[in-house]
Amino acid sequence: MTGPADGQGGGDRLPGLESRLFDIPEDKFIEVVRLLERVRDHPDVRQTFAAIRPRLVQVRPSRRPTLKRVLCMPFEDVLESFNGLDVPVGRIERRVIDPVWRLVTECGDRALIDQLDRQVQETAPGNLNALRNIGRRLWPMAAQAVRGAVGAAGEPDTGRQALWRVLQGDEEMRRQLLDVAAFLEIGLTIESLKDTLAPKPLAVLDDPHVDAIEQAAQAVARQSAGLVYYLLLVAASRMANPADLLTVLNDLDFGKARREQPAIFAQLSGLVVTNLEERSARLESKDGGKGAGTGPGAAAVAIAPEEAVAIAERLVASIDTTSAVMDVLADPVYRERLDAVKATVRSMVAGAVLDTAPAGILTAVPAPAANGRPAPVDEDAQAAAEDHARALRRCEGLAGALGLHEPLKDAMASMEKGLTARAQALLADYPKAAGDPDDAETAEMNLFYALRLLELVAGPAKADRLRTAIMAATGEFAEE
Amino acid sequence: MLKGAIEYAPSTFEERGAAVAFTTPLLSQTRVRRGERSKLEVLIPSLSQGMGIYVVAWKSVPEMVSMTMHDRYLHDLIVREESCSPYEIRRATLKAARRGLAGPKAAQAARRALDEDEEQGTLTHYLLILSILKAVGLESPEMLKAGIDTDEGQRLTRQLMTRAAESLRMDATLLYARLADIAAVTAPVGLAHSPRPGRLTRGLNDLKGFRDGMMDWARDVPSDAAPVAEFCAEVAQHTIDIGEKVLGDFHRRIEAIGPLMRDWDDAFIRVRTQAARMAWLLDGWSHITGAWEVAQAEDHHQQAATVNDLFRILPLLPRRESSRDFVEDSKQVKMAHRRSVRMLEDWRTGQMDIDAIRRIEAVKARAP
Repeated sequence: MTGPADGQGGGDRLPGLESRLFDIPEDKFIEVVRLLERVRDHPDVRQTFAAIRPRLVQVRPSRRPTLKRVLCMPFEDVLESFNGLDVPVGRIERRVIDPVWRLVTECGDRALIDQLDRQVQETAPGNLNALRNIGRRLWPMAAQAVRGAVGAAGEPDTGRQALWRVLQGDEEMRRQLLDVAAFLEIGLTIESLKDTLAPKPLAVLDDPHVDAIEQAAQAVARQSAGLVYYLLLVAASRMANPADLLTVLNDLDFGKARREQPAIFAQLSGLVVTNLEERSARLESKDGGKGAGTGPGAAAVAIAPEEAVAIAERLVASIDTTSAVMDVLADPVYRERLDAVKATVRSMVAGAVLDTAPAGILTAVPAPAANGRPAPVDEDAQAAAEDHARALRRCEGLAGALGLHEPLKDAMASMEKGLTARAQALLADYPKAAGDPDDAETAEMNLFYALRLLELVAGPAKADRLRTAIMAATGEFAEE
Repeated sequence: MLKGAIEYAPSTFEERGAAVAFTTPLLSQTRVRRGERSKLEVLIPSLSQGMGIYVVAWKSVPEMVSMTMHDRYLHDLIVREESCSPYEIRRATLKAARRGLAGPKAAQAARRALDEDEEQGTLTHYLLILSILKAVGLESPEMLKAGIDTDEGQRLTRQLMTRAAESLRMDATLLYARLADIAAVTAPVGLAHSPRPGRLTRGLNDLKGFRDGMMDWARDVPSDAAPVAEFCAEVAQHTIDIGEKVLGDFHRRIEAIGPLMRDWDDAFIRVRTQAARMAWLLDGWSHITGAWEVAQAEDHHQQAATVNDLFRILPLLPRRESSRDFVEDSKQVKMAHRRSVRMLEDWRTGQMDIDAIRRIEAVKARAP
């Protein structure tokens, strides 16, 4: 390792490694990660791990297990993501992990921690059962240690001192530490529920999933009624549309927590709405605060049209489900908050898909060149334009919910008109290329690609007129 | 013209028809054949998830179904083909995709496939020349050293092939003509000792991967599509068993190139028949294996829907080709899996399902 341990002087070798770690093949990347993990406590290596995290998230090499990682297992689903727009319901910030670990190691059962640490080191990566067996002993002790330190009165001095160092007046941190303690208390039940609610994100909530949630809720309720809420947070975070959980919640039997069910429902509903607001706020920040009406290209720089539509579809599904469920609560404030979320989604879609359509779709069809030779075919531009055209078509499914009917209709009509005009210009120019086989082939490809865009935007019936005109111009299927 | 749904258990490959890689979801992998008076017909399985097959006159298809631009073009190309064996259908399909009508990725894949066909043809031709020379004891290190694509290599090859023709007691022109015929028939299958397996041999290998994938999926994923996946694996296995026998027989005949050249009339017909049988056996499978590869990136629900989609277009063997009646067996599976099929686009309103088309085009970009 280069340089001193404070990481100030050793910054010349590892940063170079960081950038290379994005380019090397996957198997090599996994190998390097394994090697780095052996010295992962070194500040430079920690910095390297932070830098390569996007690729770690993508490749997901089975990491060397550590006791700290086992500690996080029950609440890993509610940890905030490193990037992206999806925020888990009831999220725990990553900055909480180190303080939790410090509290557990400083206030917990030191002998047990040492013993479990040795066991973890002997466990092979990916041996989930062994890690859960270690967790079975670690989590209750850790929950008690965190609660003991954060709890109001009667805590031992060591706890108070440790907590003072950790919190330094940070109330949000204190709240999240208590949440972590709750997740740890029901760690085993959470782990077993995860197996059923897999793979994540769960697209549809089927009967076996609902049964498993109900049984887990009853088991947790026997421990403490207040913990059921935390179990449901994990369940919601494993779902593609967390609001789906709300739709089945009132039909579940919470066993000993039956009396708390309305309160849990209200608490979770509020959180789902807050979660939607957080997700839409991230849209605004990614969007640079710009939405519809800021001119072409403003939002597309940040969000690709297809991504924008996919995000909007997920959010609209969540908003719709939540709205339907919220009617039960009959709270107008929720309605206003959901409408505000919807308005954000609307401007994101308008900015990233509709406003940018002329630049994203029309420019893929080249204008006839002045020298009479066809413009070269640009298949990358064509692929991007096709993605944009598909995104535009998918907006049809969102138009009703977002009030985008008119702007969408206008955008589609303008694309159809623009594509037809550009294709006609190419068609008029075709005879100039027809004499040379290579030029003719290029000109025909340009025409066929324009035809395809028109088909995507306006449908096959309207595109068929252009197809007939192209076939007549090229004479390809002329009757012998 | 729609003749109505019929129970369908074809006797021969020709009667079953060749699968066409249309991109319109309703028409994807439908089969085309020459029916009465050699008129082209298309066989559309289970419209609206019903049982049976609809036989539709080729010219009526565009009136019945709202087709993609790619499919209109392909439809026009196929009608101009004299025959509709897998070879002709593939040629037309690649031509349509190369035009870009199934998207840039499919166009690139089609261009790659056509280039590979050409390279495979050249390689097979070269390897067959070496086989002939070896068969008559004229192996030449000088020729190998010079390489067949140099002037010197070609001069040496011509010289040796003239001597080989004398040894086989035939005219050199005839030897070259027969060599070209064998190369054309062999290239898609590939020679046993070829450094690169032929397209159909690769298809057989992909089918083994698909069979394993289906078996693993049926075992590991709790889904009501699991019995469907098991059935897919069984059909694949049955096809692999027959394919391996045909392939072994084909390679044995090509290996004995001396007797093949001498007993040309009968021997060549047998070789050509075996190659055609390989093509028919694997017809329709490349889309299926490609679709399953594409589905690997999706969640279990999407995979279950894909399994059901694939079941609908599974190339069941005709009665004369197999001892087992898969058509009858498939009816039992069909009854069980009806619940979880993915809806095709509404063919009555002609509303295109752009996501379904995109899925089909993604397969085309992988397995043109």
